[in-house]
Amino acid sequence: MECVPSDEGSRNQNLLANAMPFLSHGSYRIRYELDGPADAPAYVLVNGLTQYAELWAAYRDALLARHFRVATFDLLGQGVSDKPALFINQDDHVAVLHQLISALGDGPVFLSGISFGGLIALRYAIEHGKRLSGLVPMSCFAELSPQLLLIGNALRTGLILGGTSYLQDLLLPMNLSDQWLEPLLDKLDSVKRQGWLVNDVYALQNLMESFLDFHPITSQLSSIAVPTMILNGEFDFLTPRSLHETLRVEIPDSALVIIPEGYHAFTLEKGALTADLLARFAEDVLAGRWKGNKAVLIAPDEPGGELSPFPAGYDHLRAIPVQRPSP
Amino acid sequence: MSSFLGPLDADGRVPPHQQTRVAAFLISAHGALARQFALALPLRIEAAWQTELNAQFYRESEIVSLLQRATTWVPDIALGYMAASWETTWLPPAIELTGDRSLAPAVHLATLAHAVHAAIRPAALLPTEASPADPFVLALRRIEFESGRLLQAQILFLKRPELVPFRDAVSATLEQRHNEMRRLWREMLASIGIDIRE
Repeated sequence: MECVPSDEGSRNQNLLANAMPFLSHGSYRIRYELDGPADAPAYVLVNGLTQYAELWAAYRDALLARHFRVATFDLLGQGVSDKPALFINQDDHVAVLHQLISALGDGPVFLSGISFGGLIALRYAIEHGKRLSGLVPMSCFAELSPQLLLIGNALRTGLILGGTSYLQDLLLPMNLSDQWLEPLLDKLDSVKRQGWLVNDVYALQNLMESFLDFHPITSQLSSIAVPTMILNGEFDFLTPRSLHETLRVEIPDSALVIIPEGYHAFTLEKGALTADLLARFAEDVLAGRWKGNKAVLIAPDEPGGELSPFPAGYDHLRAIPVQRPSP
Repeated sequence: MSSFLGPLDADGRVPPHQQTRVAAFLISAHGALARQFALALPLRIEAAWQTELNAQFYRESEIVSLLQRATTWVPDIALGYMAASWETTWLPPAIELTGDRSLAPAVHLATLAHAVHAAIRPAALLPTEASPADPFVLALRRIEFESGRLLQAQILFLKRPELVPFRDAVSATLEQRHNEMRRLWREMLASIGIDIRE
């Protein structure tokens, strides 16, 4: 599907100046938000499946304060963007992302996405990597493991039988910690309400069904030449360490950073820490300090803390301290 | 204008004039589906897929019955011409599916049902303070929930391999149905002071 400006005759830069900006993808409108100075390095943040752009608000504020420009948007089928009635193809998301990034001008662009959005970011980096200065896939995957395939199928069935609210009921305890959930237990309905209001069953189903013909992209990861910081929650149940390990092993200039006590949705739970890691990664890349070396690192507990290397000799794919076999 | 029904009364109930117009719209749309499913339903079920047709007919009838009984009705003289406009829209459009005319009626019914079940979200109109004990509130929630389930038959039908050669025509027809449905829903809601601009 071809991407064209929504206002014929105008350039993409002009589109970004509108107060309520939309990009057009074929006959569909994509709602986005762009903040920060035009000459600043940009961060583009890609939503997960049930997200909407406003959930990045804290990141927007934190990254603006670190002198970045920030672009967020609702994927095709999400939030305020148009929702195709029957078919959504993952290629459409990559095309929309390409249009948005093309509209940012020639400055440095850092791309980050979580979960489904991380996959879209990976695919963009494979197809248009030269346009990027850095890549941050979070809670992400390049292939559907049997567990992820079956969990995805079960989540889709849950959506079909129980609606968006039931899907949220499944995802909340799977993706967030007890510490985050406990104070909210008596007001979960209000936590879920905005996501329930802006996301329609059929549109979420279309997004989930765009995986029905999913082909693994593992074999293409080695073509990603851009500096890449892979973020994975320590307790990510949905996309566990092994799926991120594939990215670390295959992407040449990458490092895997484990978020202590983070679950799949650590971006919601540990926003200040994650935004700090994003800013530091981009600052390091721009200053020429970044060296991925396929390292395995542990993020600090708080923003500003030091990253530490995973203990030498121990297997970072295990949950108990098992020493690696000697070479 | 608000995005939600109301202002609610002290017991968390939706104003009767809003109930009347919302229920009339939903009865018109789901009633049209019930009639069309009834016409398509054979006296004796011969094929497995007709069991779903039977289920859809009775669920649509249930929705109509529920709204008739759960709504606090008030006289509304504007309903006459509004209903006429709605009923006209439910009529089959001209669908061109090159090479197979026999599919057109089924595609019409499936696209209309998809639009009714997917594009109309009555529960999303309810403010958080709406009373869960009010029959009309419960009816709207039930209709939205059931619509999500009923929708699956339309999705399965419209994505079936036999329709792949006509994917563009089917998608265009469905998008047109959605646009019509959203326009009518939006206009009806605007007439009772609700703005759901998308």
